[in-house]
This record gives sequence, C-alpha cells and structure tokens, in this order.
Amino acid sequence: MFKDLKSIYDLNWIYFFIILIIFWIGEINLYSAAGGSFDPWASNQLIRFLIFLPLFFLILMLEPKFIFNFVEIFLILIFIGLIITLIFGYTGMGATRWIRIAGFNLQVSEFTKIAIVLFMAKYFHKLNAEKTIGLLKSVLPLFVSLIFFILVAIQPDLGTAVIILALGLVVIFYAGIKIIYPFLAILAILIISPLLWTFLKPYQQNRIQIFLNPDLDPLGKGYHIIQSKIAIGSGGLKGNGFLEGSQSSLNFLPEKQTDFVFAIFSEQFGFTGSILLILLFFIMFLIPVLKTFKLTQVFNKIILFVLSFKIFFEFLINISMTIGILPVVGVALPFMSYGGSSLLSNLIICALLLNFMSINERKRMFS
Amino acid sequence: MEKNNTSEDSIKILNRRSFIILILGSIMSFIISLRLFSLQVINFSFYKKKSVENKVAIKLTPPIRGDIYDSNKKLIAGSSSLYEFIVYKNLSKDYMKEIKKLNTLIKLRLNLDKISKRIKNFNEYSGFILSRASWKQIVEFEKNKFLFNSIKIVESKKRFYPYKNFSQIIGYMGEPSNPNEFYPKGVFHLEKSYEKYLKGTPGKIFNEVNSRGKIIREISIEKSIKGNDLDLTLDFELQNYAQSILPPDKKGSIVVLSVIDGSILSMNSNPTFNAQIFEDRENSKINNLLNDNSKPLFNRAFSGFYPPGSVFKPISALVGLQRNLIDPQTEVICKGHSSLGDRNYYCWKKKGHGKVNLKKAIKESCDVYFYELAKKINIDDISNLSTNLGLNQGYDIGLSNLGKGLVPSKKWKKAFLEQSWYQGETLIACIGQGYNQTSPLQLATLYSALLNRGKYPIPRLDKKSSIKITGKLLNSEHQKILINALNAVVQEPNGTAYKLTISNPEFVKIGGKTGTSQVIRIKESEREDDQYKLKEIEEKFKDHSVFVGYAPYDKPKYIAAVIIENGGSGSAVAAPIAHKILDFAYKNNV
Repeated sequence: MFKDLKSIYDLNWIYFFIILIIFWIGEINLYSAAGGSFDPWASNQLIRFLIFLPLFFLILMLEPKFIFNFVEIFLILIFIGLIITLIFGYTGMGATRWIRIAGFNLQVSEFTKIAIVLFMAKYFHKLNAEKTIGLLKSVLPLFVSLIFFILVAIQPDLGTAVIILALGLVVIFYAGIKIIYPFLAILAILIISPLLWTFLKPYQQNRIQIFLNPDLDPLGKGYHIIQSKIAIGSGGLKGNGFLEGSQSSLNFLPEKQTDFVFAIFSEQFGFTGSILLILLFFIMFLIPVLKTFKLTQVFNKIILFVLSFKIFFEFLINISMTIGILPVVGVALPFMSYGGSSLLSNLIICALLLNFMSINERKRMFS
Repeated sequence: MEKNNTSEDSIKILNRRSFIILILGSIMSFIISLRLFSLQVINFSFYKKKSVENKVAIKLTPPIRGDIYDSNKKLIAGSSSLYEFIVYKNLSKDYMKEIKKLNTLIKLRLNLDKISKRIKNFNEYSGFILSRASWKQIVEFEKNKFLFNSIKIVESKKRFYPYKNFSQIIGYMGEPSNPNEFYPKGVFHLEKSYEKYLKGTPGKIFNEVNSRGKIIREISIEKSIKGNDLDLTLDFELQNYAQSILPPDKKGSIVVLSVIDGSILSMNSNPTFNAQIFEDRENSKINNLLNDNSKPLFNRAFSGFYPPGSVFKPISALVGLQRNLIDPQTEVICKGHSSLGDRNYYCWKKKGHGKVNLKKAIKESCDVYFYELAKKINIDDISNLSTNLGLNQGYDIGLSNLGKGLVPSKKWKKAFLEQSWYQGETLIACIGQGYNQTSPLQLATLYSALLNRGKYPIPRLDKKSSIKITGKLLNSEHQKILINALNAVVQEPNGTAYKLTISNPEFVKIGGKTGTSQVIRIKESEREDDQYKLKEIEEKFKDHSVFVGYAPYDKPKYIAAVIIENGGSGSAVAAPIAHKILDFAYKNNV
C-alpha cells in the first residue's frame, strides 16, 4: 500500500517549498486581513494545515498502484457524500454545501474535483489502446461529470460545479479527443445557455447581470466587485505596504478572507506583488507539467497535468473574479483563501502531484 | 509492437494538447496581468481617490453667518439659536421611511416628493435639514426617539432681524439652490449680494468610517469660520425716524445721503415688510406679502422710478449756462404759457409769473422760462450732463432690482421707440416730465453732485468700502448761481417751499427744490396750483409729490430726497417731510 520510505529522497523539494511559500503568503495575508491579527483566520488556517499535514504525507507515500485501484471506491464515496450533503447538509448563506464530520464542516464538492479527475484518468488510461477516441467513447466520462455537475449545482454551488465540469472537459480534451469536439461542446453550451439561464437561481442570475454591470447595484450585489476593484486599484505599482491596506482593514470588502483575499494581497503589495504571485503560481503549475513530458502512462500524465492545472485554473478564475473580468461565482484562491475544505483538497492534490512526480515508469505499474 | 505504436501516438497527442492548454493558460495570465496593469498603474489615481473617499467621511458643520450692523455698531441682522430635525443618511438605510413616519407622527407637513429628490444626492454624512422643531415637537419626538435611527434633533442657527425697518435693504434668506449646500443662503438685497462675504466657511469633521458607514473614530476637526460682519452706513435712529414720518396710507420713499462721503444714511420705502417672517417660516404671512398689491417687497427708494418734475430744472439751467444760451440776467416774460408751432405749453401758474430771470425761475418754479430755454437746447446735452451728475445709471451697492432710470436722448428714442426726436419733447424733458425716469436715490445723488460742484462721491452702503469720487468739475460761477436759487426756494418769500421757513422756524435752515411728478399729462396746466389740491381727483391719478433738499443750506452735509406717490404737489406733502428728516439728521449729528 505504501512506498518504500527511501522514495522520500526522490521528492520534488522545489515544488514542496513552493507550496510552503504560497501557504506562508496566504497566512501573512490572512493576518493582515484581520487588521494585523492572527486571530481568527491566520491561526485557524495554520492549525488546519498542521492537522492536515499527516494526511498529506500519508497520501504522498501511497503506492500509485493503490491509488489506481482505489479510484472507483473514492468516486462512489464522494457520490454518497454529495447525496448526504443534499439531504442532511448544513445550510449556510442560502446553500447546502457542508456536512459535519468529526467537528469539521466538510464541503464534499471540493473533493469531487479530485475524484472526477482520478476517475477520468483511469478511464482514459484504459482506453489508451485505441488510436483516436471517438465521440461515443467520451460520452461516458462526460455523462459522469454532468451528474456531478448537477449534484453540486443544485446545492447550489455554481462556482464549484462549473470547475468540476471544466475539469472533466479538460481531461477529455487532454486525453486526445478530436479537436472538433471541444468546439462542438462550446457551440452546444452557447445554444443551451439561454435555457440554463432559467435554471439559475435568481441570486445567480443577479450575480451575472451585476458582473456585466456592477453599477446596477453599487451598494448591494455589485458592491463586492466595486470595492474589490477599489482595493486593488489603490494598491498601485508598489502597493500600500504590509498592513497598510485601508480598504481591507476598514471592512469595506465583504468576505475579504475567502473569495476576495487577492484584493487584500494586491492592495498591500501592488502590481509588482501581484505579478510575482502570478509567476509563482505559474511555476507551480509548470513543474508537474514538465514531468508529464517524460511520462508515457496516461493515468500518470492526466493526474499530473490536470490536477496541477486545477490549482492554476482556480487561481486564474479567482483573480479574474476579483478584478471584474469574470462574474463572482465563489471559487477559492488555492492556499490563500480562508477555508478548511479548500485547503485540505489542495493539499491532497499536491500530495498526489508530489507522489506522481517521483514515479519511475521503467516498470509497468498498471495492467 | 503494434499496440506500443498506437500507445506512443496517443502519448504524442497528449503532449500536444498539454501545449495548447499551457498556451491558453498563459494567455489568460497575460490578460489578467494587463487588467491588473490597467487597474493599478493606469487608473491608479482614480482608485486611490475612491479609496480615500471610502475611508474618510467628511461631515460638514454650518458656519455662523456674519452679522450686519448700522454705522454705530447697532446689530440689525444677527443669528439666533433654534432646533432642527436633521437626517443623517449614513445612520440608517431606511431614512426615507423614517422621514415619512416622522411626518405622520409629528405632522410636520413636509413636501415628501421634494425632500426625497433633494436628499438623494445629498452628502451622506452631513445632516440634511428636514424641518424646524418647536418645543412641542421636540417633546413628541423624544417620546418616540427609538423609532428613528437616522433623525436627530440638532441645535442650529437662524437669521435674526430685530428691526423691520431694515428689511427692504438687508433682504432675507432662502433655501439653497444647490442640493449639496446644506444651509440657507441670502436671496434678496444685501443678504444676496454679500452672500460670499457673510456666509463664512463650513467646518469639516473628518471621520474614519467602516463599510457600513459607521464612524470608527474622529481623525480631525476643522472648525467652521464665522462669516465677516458687515457694517452699513445706515443710521439706526434716522432709518426708524424716517419710516415713522412717511404717511402710513401712502406709498412713498425717503433717502438721506451724506454730501461729504456719499454714505446712504437712511433709505426707506412704504409699505415695507418684516424679513423675520421668512426666517420664522410664517407661510401665511409670506403668501400675503407676495400677493400684496401695494408691493411691500419693492423698495421705492432705488427701484421706484418716476418723472422727477421740477427738481430736474437745475440740469436744464446748467446746460443753458454752459452753452451760453442764458445768463443770470436773461429775462423771460411768463404769461402762463409758451407756444411752439401750433401747440401751447402751460406754466403751472395760469396767471403767469411776469418777468422771470433764472433765480426766479427756479425759486418760483416757472415752467415758461424753461420752455423758452428748451427751444434752444439740444436734448443730448441734457442727457449727457444728467449722466455726468449721477442719473441714467445704477450704483453698485449690493441691492437687488436697482434700476438705471432714464434721461432721454435722440439716440435712445431712435433705438427704443424707432422715432426721431421732436423739439416739443425737449420742452417737456426740460421741466423733468415726459420720458424722464429717476429714483429717489438718483435724485439725492444728483443734488449731491450739484453741491459737490460736479465731482461727487458715489452712494455707498458698505461702511468699509472706499469712497469713490466720480464726475466732471462744474464751473464754480454756474454752481453758485444754482445753489443760490435753490436756497431761495426755501428761504425767500415767494419760493415754492418758503412755507417751511414760516411753519418751522426752529428747524435747520435748508435749501432744495419742489417737484410734481405727473401721472397723467392732461393736468399740465394745473400743476402746483393751489386750486388743484381741492379738486376731487381719483387717488391713483393724483401726481406724485417730490422734494429734494439739503441742510444746512450754507454748508450742506445732508441731502434728503422724498417722494410721496399720488401725494399731490411737492411743496404741500414731500417738502415738510424732507424738512423734518433733515432737521433730525442735523440735530442728532448723524
């Protein structure tokens, strides 16, 4: 079940340190978001991190073979978890997204992202023998991701649901579907989007309308975007300096510790800091991707590429949201937003990435 | 082997696809960077400003308006305390609901539509004045205080006008026109024209606020600065006395001017009004005032224009002397009328004055003398000299509706009536009738110019303003002849105002000129005729009584111009009033 303890030497320490650096930046940011106080967010997030660390190393040491075999069970567990959430879930802010396990409020949808990628990685690994993958063969994974999309979307948690669907589509695209299908898919989405609009809850429709024109409701729903832009814009080139962000310290920015944590960062560290942060995340994305070029096993490649993409993708979506180029859909900034489920899910992903980066493919692992 | 090949092919596809996704990811990162550049570098100052606005709420506190004093530092317009209902938008989102609630609870009779429109654009942290609060209303409000989060009772200032006889000069205050000005401003007369000088600078309280508009702490305070005090040239006692001697049932006006420096010492008009009713929001009284047919808001001293009548004759005489058309010895036989073409022009004295020279013509106000002179006069000379002596113009003394009046010229008639000038009109103009229009203030100024030999101080109300001398110097011989004749009007027997000397010998000795301002032309032959007073003429067609006098006659210090509308002849009504006021000014050394 576990690797040899010596394989720890093969660990990509650079990647590991990047994780630590980004988490550390996140901690500093939560500290300043509370107006220069560890309490309540920075300290809580650190405690969570320390609690999750053993699990991180546990996953890090798992045999890839074990993970490969565990995929379906994991997916079924997640499916059950989502059903339980819908029935017994804990309701907050008009949505039922959490279930309580051992004192934690767990957001199952966060882990759905991992499960769907693992499941599809295995599916396409098995299909790898075929020369090109036709439309029919991609129907099953699409179908599965749509089921999970709907399960999450009706919570309702549109942001996470869209990420799940997007990750499913990225796997299908990455796995080598003919280039025409993605275009067909986009066309299909464009055609059914007016239909989808009617399925959205009023507050979701509202969010999209306000994204298109925040000034519609400057003190209500558009307030987030306007205040976030003010905070970021006032950071300027060099930023106001650590703990010098007036917008954040004066509570102008609601939910600043979660979805809008980038605004806090950017106000303090400015354009320079923001670009460095983007570079850091880009490098973090690139390291596992470079490894994929050396690998031939489809399962390994998909896991490394798509899971690494997941973190970068969420990073881009989150920032786009805070600077007003995408609607506010509720996607956390990896390692920086306050929240246990997102942190745990990203730590699991990084553990998986570190695990698969140290794979030696000379021996055939999966049959 | 074959299987390996296909597997390797598909691996290549995977790598190719990863490049595509990498490129898309890079493009997305680039777009985000551009957007950040636009927000943080290009539009930095815009967002910086917004962030400062976000952080700091400025609450404005109204300044205390400057006081207005008479020339002896007697307060004639000040500020007094009152309580007001003030709405602070930042304290509750439901401020409009609360205003409605307050309106029904305390019956403030607010115009809710107007208020909701104005308050919408109002600064969030500066209080919006909803209404005055009476003691009864304050008690009622305090009982239900818990219902109102956004409304507070705040002590404030209102304008205080203790003496109503100054209202027609000081004016009054009104609502600000700009929704962001939160305190009243002057809208009439001195309150209006001295608005900037009087209003002061609002104070600012800089508060740090959080996103809910809740004040976290006070950063700093800039205290409001009281407006400048305004000292007027008016004399409190004289102003009140002048009002008391104006016939209460007649419309009329008195202006008293200093010969020395042009100070307006008093300026009254009847009927008058009390500016305090605007401050006390006594709406029924305000409505009555605005609808009053006798127009109490209209100050006849500088807005009322009448033909000057015979008080204008010194100008005609001066033109005659300047153009060498007459000299003091020139004599004219007055038979009661003069003819030009086929038309007769009548003297007010039907029997005629007999032999008349210049002094007699002025003293007894002979019209025929001036008709004969006018036959040789160019009307433009009259107009130009009038302008030099202060007519035909307004004075910049901060009063609303201060007109220019008119002394006609050929050019004027061509431009406004599109007709050429007739010599007959010169005859009428030379005795101060016809198109001539002057205000009492202008007549006082005209006599100040004559007494100052043409170089006279411009009238002024602001005591701190500098004395401005204007006009062209007159020939001293000409001036002496005129003043001598004007003194004779009051001091010598047969003078039209000799009565004054007889009836009040203890009064200061004055000089001056009577006048009768024609309302209708038909009575040309009847002016200043004693018979005329006895005739039953409908009140509104009666002539205006005019007198301009100065005291003391040998060393003039004061000028009084009096006009009583529909008062009849100048000697009977206006002259005694002028004598009284000049005596008062002289005896009290105003």
